Amino acid sequence: MGLLALVAGGMVLLIIGYLLTNAWPAIQAGRLGGFFTDTKWQPGSQRDPRFGVVSMLTASFLVTFLAVALALPVGLACAIFHRFYAPPVLERWNRRMLELLIGVPAVVFGFWGLMVVVPLLIRLAPGTPGQSLLAGSIVLGFMILPIITLTSQAALQAVPAAQLQAAAGLGMGRARTIWCVVLPAAKGGIGTGVLLALARAIGETMAVVLVCGNIPQIPKSLFDPVRPITSTIALEMGYATASHKALLFCAGLILVLCTALLVGWISFRRADSDPGTGGA
Amino acid sequence: MPSVSKPAARRASFRWLDRSFAVAGGMAALVSFGLFAWLIRDLVRLGMPRISWEFLTAEVADAGRSGGIGPVLVSSVLILVCCLGLAIPLGTGCALWLAEYARRGSVPARLVTGGVDLLASVPSIVFGLFGMVFFGQTLRMGFSILSGGLTLACMILPMLVRTTLSALEALPADLRPAAAGLGMTRSTTIAKVLLPAALPGIVIGVTLGIGRALSETAALIFTSGYSTRWPETLSDSGRALSVHIYDLALNVANGGPMASSSALVLLALILVVNSAAVTLSERWLLKRHQTS
Amino acid sequence: MNAPSISLPFPADVPAGSPATGDATACLRVTGLTVQYRGFTALRDITIDIPEGEITALVGPSGCGKSSFLHSLNRLTDLVPGCRVTGSIHLADGTEVTHPKADVLTLRGRVGIVFQRPNPFPQSIRRNFEIPLREHGWSKEDIPDRMETVLRQVGLWNEVHDRLHKSAIALSGGQLQRLCIARALALEPAVILFDEPCSALDPLASGVVEDLIHSLRGQLTIVIVTHNLAQARRIADHAAVFWVRDGAGTMVEHGPAARVFSSPADPDAGLYLSGARG
Repeated sequence: MGLLALVAGGMVLLIIGYLLTNAWPAIQAGRLGGFFTDTKWQPGSQRDPRFGVVSMLTASFLVTFLAVALALPVGLACAIFHRFYAPPVLERWNRRMLELLIGVPAVVFGFWGLMVVVPLLIRLAPGTPGQSLLAGSIVLGFMILPIITLTSQAALQAVPAAQLQAAAGLGMGRARTIWCVVLPAAKGGIGTGVLLALARAIGETMAVVLVCGNIPQIPKSLFDPVRPITSTIALEMGYATASHKALLFCAGLILVLCTALLVGWISFRRADSDPGTGGA
Repeated sequence: MPSVSKPAARRASFRWLDRSFAVAGGMAALVSFGLFAWLIRDLVRLGMPRISWEFLTAEVADAGRSGGIGPVLVSSVLILVCCLGLAIPLGTGCALWLAEYARRGSVPARLVTGGVDLLASVPSIVFGLFGMVFFGQTLRMGFSILSGGLTLACMILPMLVRTTLSALEALPADLRPAAAGLGMTRSTTIAKVLLPAALPGIVIGVTLGIGRALSETAALIFTSGYSTRWPETLSDSGRALSVHIYDLALNVANGGPMASSSALVLLALILVVNSAAVTLSERWLLKRHQTS
Repeated sequence: MNAPSISLPFPADVPAGSPATGDATACLRVTGLTVQYRGFTALRDITIDIPEGEITALVGPSGCGKSSFLHSLNRLTDLVPGCRVTGSIHLADGTEVTHPKADVLTLRGRVGIVFQRPNPFPQSIRRNFEIPLREHGWSKEDIPDRMETVLRQVGLWNEVHDRLHKSAIALSGGQLQRLCIARALALEPAVILFDEPCSALDPLASGVVEDLIHSLRGQLTIVIVTHNLAQARRIADHAAVFWVRDGAGTMVEHGPAARVFSSPADPDAGLYLSGARG
């Protein structure tokens, strides 16, 4: 039993170890300097191979933040509506729907984005390729919407009833109660949900690889095609060799670092907010 | 006494906010519902015409542009079997150790929990990288169903550990002294009392894990590969359904129609599996409420 | 604690011209009040006049509907799903509390409530006043004065005036309860309802809060639910005893506190007040 637990708990170390070993040639060869400063990524070029991850990092962050920026207002409004305005039956069915929506495969979202969102964007902005930063953000935002809605709803539900009673006892209306009492009390939980969504979004591959256009460049507008880190790994690992491959492992390490930081931040916040209750 | 300035007017401004909360919230709820409906409608519209028994069983032809998804479905199932074959014992064992053997809050227990939580945060594409070099190269499995399944097992492991652990922790505390009082050893207690009692929770965890494994793509591209032949052994490369969709959408010109049919099949599978998980957990919670 | 001794029928500081005998003007007139929760009758057919400017104590064992009664006085029963209130409640100015179209928010400003557990908003002390005062139409400039007035009234000003911007929940239990009382007072209510305001506090803080409630007598009408009979004896002008009859809470005895406590007519009330039952 202890051995199984050791395997399960140590798995993540094994993964990081393997990533490091495979990334090591690149780190040792001192290629990381160019990795973080060079804006060009042309691993296939015979004459001038360049390995700069900056454009892809930018794309990853931009897509992720835009997705959250799109999903947060909708998700939060949805959660407030469910908690304080909708009849319980509606709330229950909508929650079931969202729980199912969380399970929809990323590749299905990505494919739907390719078939529906991309043509729509081409019609909205003629002359652009459609597959773009904006398309990626929309599809990814749609994908994390249920996460944000459900975590926000849980955060709103966790506001102590005594607070609502206090507000009611003081003759406060629903809107002011939500605005001045509930949201300040729930903002920690909502923030944790956003962090979870960020972690999910930045590591997402399938939803972005199909709709972002996959051109490694720093976008100048929302309609420019971009290529996030995850897409790069998915697209190039199949044929990469030698230092190119090692650099893709470096990119994987960066991803793990980002999500690990987010998860660490979440558990730190949780430990900070309720020191009494361990786990649960 | 200070003057009270037009309470009705002040209230009115917030009544306006109240109304906009209601309208904006309602619209947001409608949008999220509408998006879901839109997604389903499009997939049904695009994919439904080709769905038939023939489609589900026939071989993949012309790089997926025609034929069916028979071998792909078989590979998906085999990958799933490999995945569960490793993940269930490993996840249950880890959860049992955390719940029954390790002391709460002790350093080893916290390290294991922390490791599992961290594992949950690793992006699926990174699992793909890891599976490719660890299972594929170090363990010499190459591009194979086994390699893909084991990679997925690592990925769904945290989910299994968490659901099993919470099922074990939710058991009545007096079950253990009661069993000990009957002179049962700890291992008999676990096998005969605790595991059966926690079974519903484990089943829910496994169901959720199946859903997650079925929907995974990125971790499988470099581990189980793209082969569309009928798999004969577990060491053959085999293409999962999600990889099939990805490949048709990205690499095959005019692959769209078949991709949408495959996506519809996958979506239907996932919805069935996840509804089962939701229904199971609701039933189980209800039962627990009634008995306690 | 400078509470009056039990033998003294009326507190010493009764304002002239307001005899505590029950014929003072009624501030709240309750007629045939029945409260049901999804078919279960929590409170049946209560009729009572609550006199203006005095303290009315509601006593009785747990689960006899005292809190339901209190909460129906400012429509907090609206918050409970499935709760149905019949009968009528009128304020002295003729406002019908129970009217379906009554302005509930304004009403709750006029009939304030303080709960058993102090429930300040987990924000700064100042925000705890700003939020409800803004709701009730006070302009931003008037709020600091109002806050100072009521904080002085509850004896908290000297303790908190230099930390108004700090979180309210850092205060001690007794201070928190006084803060909640001040917050309710800030809205200038005509009536203030206390739902066991001292039972979550330690004896010392409890005494301070009790003295504070007593000091409010004459300024506004007070209705207090308490499990502490000694406390009810010390501060109440009027008393009402609640009891469970036929599975529903009802009022078995009410009148001037002195009479109710010394010679209750109802046998159950008698046993309860003498400490033999309940």
